[in-house]
Amino acid sequence: MKLIDWRKELSRDGHRVVLSGLPVAIHCHHYNINLHKTLEEALGSEGIELIYDAAEEASYIAFNVLLNQYSRIKTIKSRLELAAANYQNCGLGILHFQKIGPRGGKIVSTSSHHVTGWLAKNGRRDTPGCHFCRGWIAGVLEIIYNRGLGFYEIEEVSCKMMRDEACVFRVKER
Amino acid sequence: MAIDARKILHAVMEGSRIRDSKGIIPLFGVYLSLFSVEYYNQVSFNFSKKMGKKMEKEAERLLIEAAQECGYATFQGIRNSWEWDELVAPMIEKDEDNIYGFCALAMAFGWGDMRVTNLIPGEKLVIRVTDSYEAGGYMKRFGQATSGKCFMLRGVTAAFMGLLYGDEYPWGCFSFMAEEILCRAKGDPYCEFIARKSPGYGTE
Repeated sequence: MKLIDWRKELSRDGHRVVLSGLPVAIHCHHYNINLHKTLEEALGSEGIELIYDAAEEASYIAFNVLLNQYSRIKTIKSRLELAAANYQNCGLGILHFQKIGPRGGKIVSTSSHHVTGWLAKNGRRDTPGCHFCRGWIAGVLEIIYNRGLGFYEIEEVSCKMMRDEACVFRVKER
Repeated sequence: MAIDARKILHAVMEGSRIRDSKGIIPLFGVYLSLFSVEYYNQVSFNFSKKMGKKMEKEAERLLIEAAQECGYATFQGIRNSWEWDELVAPMIEKDEDNIYGFCALAMAFGWGDMRVTNLIPGEKLVIRVTDSYEAGGYMKRFGQATSGKCFMLRGVTAAFMGLLYGDEYPWGCFSFMAEEILCRAKGDPYCEFIARKSPGYGTE
């Protein structure tokens, strides 16, 4: 079943780009990865946390707005499907919500904007690097399971930026 | 002016609705993503805050540099793409039109209503933006600023000049530097960016 007509969700308000009623910017991998690298190099783990927190808060707000517009999307399964479709439609990649429940679980990403961008610009890295994606996942799960911001902690246990086969995320309560 | 911004905007909006099977948006020679402006503002302004008062200028320098390198690489990819060849290149009558084409694309990307108010080829570029998401985002979070806050647009303005009038890619990235002389976050009616040759560039 097609949950949402994404072509209609993406529109303009004058010179602004609007996605499901919220202003968005279209940025490419050069900018996203440069920001990532700048914060990580300048602040280390604190920089990583900044990226995670910003992505978590933004996805929490945006997904809540989106769900409020589509009250017919009620089941957990359909909300997870919507989250995955949303991620893909924003050009962020592919997410498979596998064994996931309100207490946590596992999510796999087989393709991602940030991985593609990082590898193209910087090559392989030695530590997991999908900080944006971890935050994004936390934000949407907190909405889906009706939890507050910061409820979930997402750990990346394997990462394609390290040339692993897939990015694998473990979700648990904080 | 030869550049038809409406055609460019239409192409970006249509292209942004097409993803490949991996959920990636390959358009104009780069991989695009759509994400909330709040995310970008939070990353930039919290980074600057986290670096501390003493390191504030250094944080801003890093953010501007990140944007300038991005703008330089991004628009190099864009102007070498088949989409540029098909759509924008036929509109270009003189070198300066490239800058107008870059601005039309940036506007289509939702970066703000970028308008070129002065362009002296090889010397100076002035861009005016009345609705920068950076300035608006700063004011919403922190109130009035004492200095310009549009780090991304500042870097990008310099990158446009570097691409067109700097050394051959990739050597001309920082051949121009930009200042933000007016910023809405400071209470000015609009944001204005001036790019000029970097000190010492081209004197050898």
